[in-house]
Amino acid sequence: MRTSWLALLLAPAAAGLLIAADNSVLVRNVDVHPVTGPEIHNGAVLVIDGKIAEVGARVAPRAGARVVDGHGLQLYPGMINAATNVGLEEIESIRDTIDLDEIGTFNPELRAEIAFNPSSEHIEVTRAAGITTVIALPGSGGRGGRGGAASPVITGQGALMHLEGWTWEDMAVKPSAVMDMLFPEIQGGGGRGGFAALLGGPTRTYAEEEKLYKQKLDQISQFFNEAREYKAAKAAAGPGFKRDIRLEAMIPVIDGQLPLFVRAERERMIKDAIEFADKEKVKIIIADPREMGSTGPMLKAHNIPVVLGKTFQLPMRDDDPYDAPYTLPNEFYKAGVKFCFGTFDVEFARNVPFEAAQAVAFGLPKDAALKGLTINSAEILGVGNELGSIEKGKMGDFILTDGDPLEAKTNIKQMFIGGREVSLESRHTREYEKWMKRP
Amino acid sequence: MKHHYALLAAALAIAPLAPAEVPGNIAIKDAHIVTVSGADLPKATIVLRNGLIEDVGTNVTIPPGTWVIDGTGLTVYPGFIDALSTWGIPGAIPAPAGRAAGAAAQSPPAQTPAPAQALTQAQQQNPIEAENAGRPNVHGPEDRPQTYSFERAADLITPTDNRLEAARAAGFTSAATFPNRGIVEGLGAVIDLSGERGRDMVVAQPVGQQILFRVGGGGMGRAFPASLMGNIAYIRQLYLDLDQYKRAKETYASNPSGNRRPEYDHDLEGLAESPRILLPADQAQQIDRMISFGQELKVPYVLYGLHEAFKRVDQIKQANVPALISLKWPVAPRDADPTDIPNYRDLVIREQAPAVAGMFAKAGVKFAFYSDGVDTAPELKRAVKKAMDAGLSRADAVRALTLNAAEIYGVADRMGSLDKGKIANVVVTKGDAFDDRTTVEYVFVDGAMYQPSKELQQGPPAGGAPGGRRGTTPGNDSEGGRN
Amino acid sequence: MRRILSICTLLAALGGLSGAETILIRNATVLTVTKGTVENGSVLIENGKIAAIGKNVSAPADATIVDATGKYLMPGIIDCHSHTAIEGGVNEGTLSDSSMVNIKDVINPYDINIYRALAGGLTISNVLHGSANAIGGQTIVIKLRWGKTAPEMIMEGAKPGIKFALGENPKRAGEPQGFFTQGAAAERRYPGTRMGVEEVIRESFTEAKNYQAEWKDYNDRVVRGEHPIPPRKDLRLEPLVEVLEGKRYVHAHCYRSDEILMLIRVADEMGFKIRTFQHVLEGYKVAREIKEHGAGASTFSDWWAYKIEAYDATPYNAAIMTRKGVVVSVNSDSDELQRHLNLEAAKTMRYGGMTPTEALAMVTINPAKQLGIDDKVGSIEVGKSADLALFDQDPLSNYSKCLKVWIDGHEYFDRDKDLETRPKFQQEKKQLLDKENAQQGQRTGRPAGANTAATPKEEGR
Repeated sequence: MRTSWLALLLAPAAAGLLIAADNSVLVRNVDVHPVTGPEIHNGAVLVIDGKIAEVGARVAPRAGARVVDGHGLQLYPGMINAATNVGLEEIESIRDTIDLDEIGTFNPELRAEIAFNPSSEHIEVTRAAGITTVIALPGSGGRGGRGGAASPVITGQGALMHLEGWTWEDMAVKPSAVMDMLFPEIQGGGGRGGFAALLGGPTRTYAEEEKLYKQKLDQISQFFNEAREYKAAKAAAGPGFKRDIRLEAMIPVIDGQLPLFVRAERERMIKDAIEFADKEKVKIIIADPREMGSTGPMLKAHNIPVVLGKTFQLPMRDDDPYDAPYTLPNEFYKAGVKFCFGTFDVEFARNVPFEAAQAVAFGLPKDAALKGLTINSAEILGVGNELGSIEKGKMGDFILTDGDPLEAKTNIKQMFIGGREVSLESRHTREYEKWMKRP
Repeated sequence: MKHHYALLAAALAIAPLAPAEVPGNIAIKDAHIVTVSGADLPKATIVLRNGLIEDVGTNVTIPPGTWVIDGTGLTVYPGFIDALSTWGIPGAIPAPAGRAAGAAAQSPPAQTPAPAQALTQAQQQNPIEAENAGRPNVHGPEDRPQTYSFERAADLITPTDNRLEAARAAGFTSAATFPNRGIVEGLGAVIDLSGERGRDMVVAQPVGQQILFRVGGGGMGRAFPASLMGNIAYIRQLYLDLDQYKRAKETYASNPSGNRRPEYDHDLEGLAESPRILLPADQAQQIDRMISFGQELKVPYVLYGLHEAFKRVDQIKQANVPALISLKWPVAPRDADPTDIPNYRDLVIREQAPAVAGMFAKAGVKFAFYSDGVDTAPELKRAVKKAMDAGLSRADAVRALTLNAAEIYGVADRMGSLDKGKIANVVVTKGDAFDDRTTVEYVFVDGAMYQPSKELQQGPPAGGAPGGRRGTTPGNDSEGGRN
Repeated sequence: MRRILSICTLLAALGGLSGAETILIRNATVLTVTKGTVENGSVLIENGKIAAIGKNVSAPADATIVDATGKYLMPGIIDCHSHTAIEGGVNEGTLSDSSMVNIKDVINPYDINIYRALAGGLTISNVLHGSANAIGGQTIVIKLRWGKTAPEMIMEGAKPGIKFALGENPKRAGEPQGFFTQGAAAERRYPGTRMGVEEVIRESFTEAKNYQAEWKDYNDRVVRGEHPIPPRKDLRLEPLVEVLEGKRYVHAHCYRSDEILMLIRVADEMGFKIRTFQHVLEGYKVAREIKEHGAGASTFSDWWAYKIEAYDATPYNAAIMTRKGVVVSVNSDSDELQRHLNLEAAKTMRYGGMTPTEALAMVTINPAKQLGIDDKVGSIEVGKSADLALFDQDPLSNYSKCLKVWIDGHEYFDRDKDLETRPKFQQEKKQLLDKENAQQGQRTGRPAGANTAATPKEEGR
């Protein structure tokens, strides 16, 4: 039993590499959807050495570039899931297969990249849906439980990973793309004589909870101050300076280079996070909000982008409109906030296109949905020049489909990452092939 | 008799009692007498003797040697009855009606049961389960670990319960009091709230079994039952067993020869003895559920809770089931997160729960009130007043607290109204009952006289706020704060 | 007060309090599922039933006309695995066999998830006990008649069931360091292995057969004029006897192929049938045996890897089993997923190449067959109940949304009305809050968490 699934774990996800040896390809006779420009009917895309060299209605073949006929197919940029735990969690119920939520409150020096298991079955399964790149986060965002003073705040650096490669080094597009942060929350606050008391649960008052929350915020500010002091000491390079890898990892954050990926579900948390970012003068991304409330104009004014979580959620409150989670992306869109989509999980990382499509059903313009899976994701994650659209100079990451990739009925026919064709087989297709043959 | 008073005076030092020279006979003369059973008597006399009502009316002869209270400006009511109580059983704390009814909100989501703690708790409640642990407990229900049907409130009553004094200060002289353990909680008793010993206090028993649904841990845990559906199945099986027990006993009695004798069953005897059961039903769907369950069980049943009964008045009327309304009106919890907006449904329940009594009165549903953990005099008074403010007439409020409760428990032949021959449970007020400025001047329990202190009537400040009565609208400032 | 009741009534009105009207839905793309697609078709509803379908259907003068030009009409969606609207615990997990408990007793018609599901086109749910024990509780099929009482939601003529559960979940409470058995004082509950799960089922059915015999003996003796003492009526064994007598369906939660096969063999031995295998993520490995047994398979579109027994899952499961001749449905097991089962069905087109009709069947006629109600619902056919869902686009498109839902010809959901009601609802609510706050003198706060319904119930995973 143990050996059998270990063996499966060891099956290389990179098997797809065997199909295409080089990274130059011309796909022609295909409908190109560059995302950043208008659709090119019957166009072509040329990739040389992994980068897009030419896009147009007619592109001449190039020596050494494989030619792919895309007749009847659509070409889209490879999609990006801007929030997952892919590579760091294999089986949700088995802790041994999970590398999320390290012990400790402030862990900025932790790097998701190095724990990204290139043999995870989730890699192939996710890319089969047309997703070429994911953010792998080091924290579960509370799926693993939170609460109390010991709850994590900074869980480490999220990595932007290609879903193809022999090693995590091969796969990393941007090893340190975001600094994952769980913004503290005013807990419980059930009040006296209310629900909490009925359950025999904690009966701290709101005021008491708020006080604990403020203490936590102070603790965070203190940590940021330490990082600043450390940076100054390092710059001064005075005698007795000792390197501290934990505080050093914060320098890109306090310099405004590395965005804090701030998970904030509720309106109040979002507001507080914005205030916090202002005060600390750091760059932030709001992650996994469940409501927008009045924060739209603030986010827009501060130019703070948002990584949306699942659209397929239940409304937060009984009295909320039934479609509140479905309309949330469009609320951000209408507020002029830049956003993209993530799933904040592993199992359903592949379904991120459907999360976007559901928002379209409830008002979001189609092109905004597609951008939220491609160019906006790339820009928010700081790789707008490399990924997210079919444009000259960008990585040759694209998919060939028989339809709209946001539709479940569409088949993803071929995938190229860095100009190399990647297999769309997975554990799932292999089971299919195998067991269809059972007499 | 004198001796009796003296003893009580010693036991209850805070409540100033009648002067030591109070004679055995008491008359309240020229008072406004609300008999409840008959017409109001604006100017009449009532005579109490030997713990009974000797006479009441406009044409009453006061026997010689009677201690006469001038009733001018006073109103006399039958003593109030708490229709579902733990008064007299110290340490028994009533479970909230919502929980008792197994409200879904009480169970954590199925995915996140609180494992270890719930298990331990369940085991404590259920030693039999713990003994059987590790083996398939496929016989679950007949172990009946949550059945205390045999426990008698009458045997648990003690006059030392310090809540009694406060209850009397609010005009309560009696309570239908129940043990508070398990799902089938034991045999309740109607008691008077005064006596030297517990046994002196018992008026009638058994008067019913209170059913309480014990739901927790998302239905997990060790002790059957842990879910609402488990509770229902558990009780259903008990009553099937009772049926079979009775049939088996009858069959055996007529044909002992050749049959094994049925085993004596402690639990079922307790169940068989009970004249009625009390079923928890707070929200509308719980009311529907318990009406159909009560009908299915084919035993006389009474509903309790009923805060959302404003949606089910017709159904309750049609089912012809008596109803006990909790005086612990649902209110917004204090000190909670100001950004958390309550549910519409909860808001409606909070607004309308106090109106249920008035609706019942209009529809002709038989109902009474119960204290449900509200146990200080000012809070009890305010809670009743809140129902009146929401449409209940004073007469109906008084009736609910007196004769209705007595009728529901089958003791109207001895209490619940001011009639000749009934127990001398009497409350004398200055002002109309439950009004803000009204004071309770005298309370007679089984003929024993109490004069509740002003302090008790104003009560300890609710929720720690200074000052008893704050001059705000009664019923609006603090109910539910004491939890 | 009346004002507040009025908004309740208004909301309930969305819940079909209007009478069984004659309705003509005109000019829709009618996805009948069983009889092809009628472009520009009309469906006439009379007395709660589908009275006519076709391109030219004439309606009585008093009929309500619904213009569905450009829209898609499909049968109301049916969910073969739900835990929605259960009050007071989805599991009675304290026993290995809790067949005495009944979901029917604890349906909460006020559960907002009913309305939310309706808004996604769902009309029928097979509401199941959880999977904490080998033999769980009795189950019930409900129609989502929002605004009605629990008894009024129970679907007439739908056979009740009982939940079984195999594999990790029922043995979890028996594991030495399982999810439910952490903490020093925690006791293990039998069983802790798949062997023990099998033993519990075999043991219970053996008892049920003895029980059956005991009653037969008693009844025989009564007929002979004797006066025996009646046996004890046992609520745990009664439903198992019903299973043996074919009066109650078995819905068995399962994952691995070995346990699926095991249950088939136990059922063969004991002489009963499994009606559906639920989840059945490795059903594709034993599709032949499932088909031979005559069971249906009710699975997830694409769940996997949340536990080891779900690691061999493949989203091609539904397609493989279908191709091997099993009647397959796609279910929700979740208050969230039940809101868009049409989109879950659409995934079977990608994973295994189901045709659009085959995909739709996974959430309509196939679950109807599995629940034995395909003579009443599950397709758009004359004579069937008018359980219908109208979508703005092809319901298999991820861009579609549900606009209207009818059950028995009553309108239970209308998106336009829902949108219209929102401001008024908020206004009513604000008035209530303001009133309460004014009475309290000051705002004292609200319970946190008590009112949220954010956690989807995915109990059975």
